[in-house]
Amino acid sequence: MVYSIVVGCVTLKETVKTDKMATPTKIEGSAMIVRVLAEQGVKIIFGYSGGAILPTYDAVFRYNSENQINGKDPMPLIVPANEQGAGFMAAGYARATGKPGVVLVTSGPGATNTVTPVRDAMADSIPLVVICGQVARDSIGTDAFQEAPITSVMGSVAKHVFLVTESEKLEATVRAAFEIAASGRPGPVVVDVPKDIQNSMVIPDQDSRLNIAAYRGRLSQIQGRELNDAECKKFFNYLGQSERPLLYVGGGVIAGEASESLRGFAEKFQIPIATTLMGIGAIGTQSVLSLKMLGMHGTAYANYAVEDCDFVIAVGARFDDRVAALPKKFAPKAKAVAHFDIDPSEIGKVKNVDWFHIGILNKAIAKLSDYSDQNNLAFNFSSWLDETQELKIKHALSYDRESNLIQPQMVLEEINKLTKGKAIVSTGVGQHQMWAAQYFDFNQPRQWLTSGSMGTMGFGLPAAIGAQFAKPESMVIDVDGDGSIRMNLGELETVTAYDLPVKILLLNNAGDGMVKQWQKLYYGARFSGSDKTLRQKDFVMCAKSDGFQYAEQLTEKKDVVKTIKQFIEFPKAAFLEVVIDPDAMVYPMVGPGMAYDQMVTGEFISSRDTDQEIDEIDPNAMF
Amino acid sequence: MRHTIAILLQNETGALSRVASMFSTRGYNIESLSVAPTQDPMVSRLTLVTEGEDAVIEQIAKQLYKLIDVVEVLDITLLDHVERELMMIKIRLEDRKRDALLAFVDEQEGKIISEVDGFIILEIMSDYDSNNDFLKAVEKATEVIAIARSGPLALAKGQAVISL
Repeated sequence: MVYSIVVGCVTLKETVKTDKMATPTKIEGSAMIVRVLAEQGVKIIFGYSGGAILPTYDAVFRYNSENQINGKDPMPLIVPANEQGAGFMAAGYARATGKPGVVLVTSGPGATNTVTPVRDAMADSIPLVVICGQVARDSIGTDAFQEAPITSVMGSVAKHVFLVTESEKLEATVRAAFEIAASGRPGPVVVDVPKDIQNSMVIPDQDSRLNIAAYRGRLSQIQGRELNDAECKKFFNYLGQSERPLLYVGGGVIAGEASESLRGFAEKFQIPIATTLMGIGAIGTQSVLSLKMLGMHGTAYANYAVEDCDFVIAVGARFDDRVAALPKKFAPKAKAVAHFDIDPSEIGKVKNVDWFHIGILNKAIAKLSDYSDQNNLAFNFSSWLDETQELKIKHALSYDRESNLIQPQMVLEEINKLTKGKAIVSTGVGQHQMWAAQYFDFNQPRQWLTSGSMGTMGFGLPAAIGAQFAKPESMVIDVDGDGSIRMNLGELETVTAYDLPVKILLLNNAGDGMVKQWQKLYYGARFSGSDKTLRQKDFVMCAKSDGFQYAEQLTEKKDVVKTIKQFIEFPKAAFLEVVIDPDAMVYPMVGPGMAYDQMVTGEFISSRDTDQEIDEIDPNAMF
Repeated sequence: MRHTIAILLQNETGALSRVASMFSTRGYNIESLSVAPTQDPMVSRLTLVTEGEDAVIEQIAKQLYKLIDVVEVLDITLLDHVERELMMIKIRLEDRKRDALLAFVDEQEGKIISEVDGFIILEIMSDYDSNNDFLKAVEKATEVIAIARSGPLALAKGQAVISL
């Protein structure tokens, strides 16, 4: 089987197997699953065993013991504390590498525990293959022990779900799962395999393909699309008429492995870039052209640039509500909007655009670049670029540097000084996630692992574990909050069990900080359900009990620099709880359902708007 | 505007529920839905009636195309087409109204397909709007006990097979 990789999309090149004469040897369905995993280049499996998946667990064990490489398992099985952890580990692995993460779980609760990571991966377009056991075919529908309707449950949240009903289709189905997960707009695919099919004997046929002709046809049509000269001309007409173009870059650039061509394009024409939360790393955050993140908690200068720009070039971004809560008021001075995406349904979904291209991003950028060379197109946006540099200086991120309490931003700045944009950072969801997005530097794509669209608390720790397996030589830091880390705290033991040098930074503000921030701003400071001051958990003791040799608590501002250094330089797993100012807020903030001109920058970031009152919010806009 | 959309769907486990689930998860309405096999045993044809502005219908088509099992999506409404819906109405009829109603049914090319113990089942096959008018007239004339409608089926006239 031959694969050709086209910007992160796997296109199948059918190869004809000639050796059809040999007598076929039957193997167990479970061994067949493992054989396809090996064929697909799977290097690691994340999963938790149980009754309905036992045959396949046994097949993984046998495969590993029979195929040792230098005394090591070729396909190690990483066991979490909870299947949700396995899902997020696989997602962390996939986000850090671009390759599908593989999850192997049992039926019923094993499978339903992965629903959240599957939906999370769908929402952020992350390739996953989840293989779950199912009760035997003749028990399906009888409310059997550990039975759950996985096709129905997963059907609404995954890119696709297969229930294998015939042994003969097992091999082709597992193969198709990888094809679907990684191709086009990536996403999670679930394969539900009844136990009797795992136990059945099947004839391997490495040429077997599932008939998903309609999907393949649409995919190859999209992948084959080329920008023609007329389209290029129109694009450059918009650019030529523009004085203030802005690249609005999303996760599609990272999924499409197009960061390099995007950087080249931006540099060639000197166009500044604001990224979404998912687009962080598409351009080095320290680049002159980078305005860092835009949106609800974007930098003030990125959001001002959105207000000022006259041509928006959306690339692999989808105008979601955290960026464009009011689509009509997004980039109000833009005379034109251009949109690149691989998913036709994103074009015109939220905002009508003047120019669009559906296709492979690398190809489109190369074509535009060629066209401009052939036609000697030159543009000068230097005064706009100067304006954006002034915005960056004047409205730089800042916080209460004089406070006696430890400010979370200070902690992140200190870590950033040591990691210099090279670390892989995962997060939970909430204030700490936004501070990390704002204050860390990232030189490359796939270094920033965060639950963007779903906003799943508990994502950070398991994602960091998955990423550390993917990138054993890289520094992997989980920046977490006390609310978020609780959700998958059980995975602390997984870090030490596999001797991973993951760094866990817990910013503890004794509550659900972002919820408290909204309650402070919009609900009269009534902290309903969000205060955790009565919780007696000793996080350091938790880490120690799971074998962390470095587990410390940081409470004094004067110790920050020294402690951070020890923490980051510790060669093994390290856990640092920082007791931060519980009242620290995330600014800037564009309130829910508001336009960028209503952005509030707080006390420490300079605003160009004199009215810094918190505007009344339509309760219906508050999500 | 009302749209009649035909969807060719590969016969796979859960395929129908994934189509239905796409409508509910994205907040689109299904007014009626009928499913039956086609000349290709691997493919079923769904005929679905939904309501929405052009932009909504476009999104529905695009979202349907993201489902792996969907082979083709056709907005029959955009084409010169024929539409038929089968409707059965069970009524109880007083003798004094009988002649007038039966004359009306006959005029509308409806039929009586069952009559048991004073319960009559009427059958009519026409387009969706005409069926609605027919039903209203029957409801006005007598007590309607039950209604079963197939939902509209539609085919484009002539050669046209336009996919969205």
